[in-house]
Amino acid sequence: MPHPAPTTAEQVTTVALVGNPNTGKSTLFNALVGVRQHVGNYPGVTVERKAGRMAAGGRALEVIDLPGLYSLAPRSRDEMVACEVLLGEFKGLDRAQAVICVADASNLQRSLYLLSQVLELGLPVVLAVNMIDMAEEHGIEVDLESLRQRLPIPVVAVQANRRLGVEQLKAALSEALEAEAPARMTPFPKPFEREAAQLRGWFEAAPSNGGASFCPGIARRLLLDAGGYLEADMLARERLPDGAGEELAQARARLEQEGCRIPSVETESRYAWVQKVLDGAVRHPETYRPSFSDRVDAVLTHRLWGTLVFALVMVAVFQAVFVGAEPLMEWIEGSREYVGNWIASVVPEGALQSLLQKGVVGGVGAVIVFLPQIVILFLFLAVLEDCGYIARAAYLADRMMARVGLSGKAFIPMLSSFACAVPGIMAARVIEDERDRITTILVAPLLTCSARLPVYALLIAAFVPSWTYLGGLLNLQGLVLAGLYALGIVVAVVAALLLKRTLLRGAAPPFLLELPSYKWPSPRNVAYRVVQRVGQFLRCAGTLIFAVSILVWAALYYPQNPPSAEPLREARHTLETQRENLPPNAPQRARLDDQIAEISREITGEQQRQSILGRLGRVIEPVVRPLGWDWRIGCAVLASLPAREVVVATMGVIYNLGEDVDHDSEDDRNLLQQKMRAAVWEGSGRPIFTVPVALSILVFFALCAQCAATLAVMRQETGTWRWPAFAFGYMTLLAYAGAFVTYQVGTWIAGG
Amino acid sequence: MVDKTVPLETLLAGETATVSRIAGHRHDVHRLEEFGLRGGSRIRMFRTGNPCILALGGGKVCLRCDPQLRILVERAAVTPGGLPEGVQPR
Repeated sequence: MPHPAPTTAEQVTTVALVGNPNTGKSTLFNALVGVRQHVGNYPGVTVERKAGRMAAGGRALEVIDLPGLYSLAPRSRDEMVACEVLLGEFKGLDRAQAVICVADASNLQRSLYLLSQVLELGLPVVLAVNMIDMAEEHGIEVDLESLRQRLPIPVVAVQANRRLGVEQLKAALSEALEAEAPARMTPFPKPFEREAAQLRGWFEAAPSNGGASFCPGIARRLLLDAGGYLEADMLARERLPDGAGEELAQARARLEQEGCRIPSVETESRYAWVQKVLDGAVRHPETYRPSFSDRVDAVLTHRLWGTLVFALVMVAVFQAVFVGAEPLMEWIEGSREYVGNWIASVVPEGALQSLLQKGVVGGVGAVIVFLPQIVILFLFLAVLEDCGYIARAAYLADRMMARVGLSGKAFIPMLSSFACAVPGIMAARVIEDERDRITTILVAPLLTCSARLPVYALLIAAFVPSWTYLGGLLNLQGLVLAGLYALGIVVAVVAALLLKRTLLRGAAPPFLLELPSYKWPSPRNVAYRVVQRVGQFLRCAGTLIFAVSILVWAALYYPQNPPSAEPLREARHTLETQRENLPPNAPQRARLDDQIAEISREITGEQQRQSILGRLGRVIEPVVRPLGWDWRIGCAVLASLPAREVVVATMGVIYNLGEDVDHDSEDDRNLLQQKMRAAVWEGSGRPIFTVPVALSILVFFALCAQCAATLAVMRQETGTWRWPAFAFGYMTLLAYAGAFVTYQVGTWIAGG
Repeated sequence: MVDKTVPLETLLAGETATVSRIAGHRHDVHRLEEFGLRGGSRIRMFRTGNPCILALGGGKVCLRCDPQLRILVERAAVTPGGLPEGVQPR
């Protein structure tokens, strides 16, 4: 869906905010637009699009915070989007009309490299030099006056975290918008400029072009486009005339012959220009002075102490996620019941009541329950990210992750997945390398999330004997739980290794990660980030999960009133008439009530067995038989497709316990456990639930992809249904194989 | 003349050096250059190993190279405390 673009009648000017990562770009964005900002995605890609409104010099401006980047040579999705927005090549979006380039005063060299690329676009540009105070702490002196003289654009000093210089920046921007765009300057050697001019002329004159115009600078970017991303994208969209690919290749070959090596001609020429601009304008300290960050890093990146602190931080985050979220989750659980009951009291009994109560409130509510955990997790991550610690965590984790074929950046997504795979998959956005990112997304759901715990708790408590070893130090039940966690981790590691060697094979680029200076987290930045990410989670929960919940509800609800339940209904009717005829305080009343309740549960059970889902359960019975399951387990597994924890409630229904199994209540859980122990194969007295069967269900749930939220967020983050379909396929296969082996081996051991 | 360049990983923690040459796949080299790590950059080894941490241009970066990418550096004159910036190699 295209972003609602400002109408031209309003005369809104689009300003792009460009800068290296960690230059305080987002802080400046927040300072510029405040709460008048909205976050979405760029159409068709999962790059976050942050935009907001501000006024400068009587103009309404739409500020777009482009992803942080080091260069306009696109190598990742983020850089691709930024590059195309600036070139006016992003489909469905207008070209930015002006640019604010944010520079880090401590690292002007790199910031000006990017500026030199931006200056070639023929747009009004303002340079905002941020964090001069930090630079001074490092002993770096910046002479802004010299910079102003040497650069053809306004230069403004800002301190985004204290909102200093914001007004000056706006004034400079509105001046730059009034003035002519700065004269395009190019640091490239003559042969390169000649080829670029020729190429652009060829594009515009090509008969198949149809008179389309190209932004200045596009020919240069295409010539230099090292990975061929821009070229491939523009060719795929037929944005370039026929034969453009050959023309580009020939031009590049001619340049190589003339000594302009691509892509190194770009860094050579631009850094030479940067050197000239900065010469004498920036003074570095004569002697090394350890900064505050250096002193902190002496501990936090230390192999022993750093790892220890890292472990403590992770334990603290997990404690907060699991313990801190508990009361809130209970509260949501309670509200869900309350809303359900309220619906039952307002809406007359029937399909609509059931749909609202069980389909909508039950289904979506089952996912919303995890919201407190997700909010707390996002809060911690936002604080750690804003103060600069996340990069250190990635450094410490990199050694470990490299063995799996991933980088340190994959660690936070993996860690988050132990709470819930949804925020984990969303956190994978920080991984630039596309293959690494997809691998991380595909294996993240294998890690044991908190939704698996109710399933584990129920089955382990019911079927794993509570034997203790080593004088009570180890308990078999605890060992099985630990084993399930370990199973998830081991399978994730193996899956990642296999994926990186097969489907997602490719040369890994060198792993580069900036370690920003430590700073106090800004409550404003943290709050914006948490609200934005939680919003994304809710949007996801509100759409696809909603749809799947309703589908499963309908499959379990229809057809109504199966004939096989008729005798039961008649029996209930008889009992009810008996009760009617009793005096109000007759002692038999209570017994009759119990009988009626029991028979009502049986009716519900029969109804569910005859429902579409119940019949499907019977259809798949031959498939699940080798796992030791009867059709009822198969049915419960089918019903838990939207969310695995639903399996507990469904088993309750199918084993005639009634619908409101509260898996938090000890009594209900015990009752369900008793019922399950008593369940026997139809036609024989053999119990269904033996230890191998329970273990096979546990292994299945450890490995399966029974979570609509995860699959939906995968679709959102990869932009295609292909990857979620693949994840579902491979995880279900793994789960089936794992459950099969567990059951067969378990039975063999038990029998032998 | 004696070639004084050594591989980056031979630097000890706290040592200062100037990058002389980066050899490897041209796109990888280009990426490092755009990041600010290029011939002539002055660096200081903060943490050795792979990944290592380098002080570079007022900040710190974590870097892990595969064997295909070689960064050759020239050690700065050994001075107490090490001079990360403004040091001319002898």
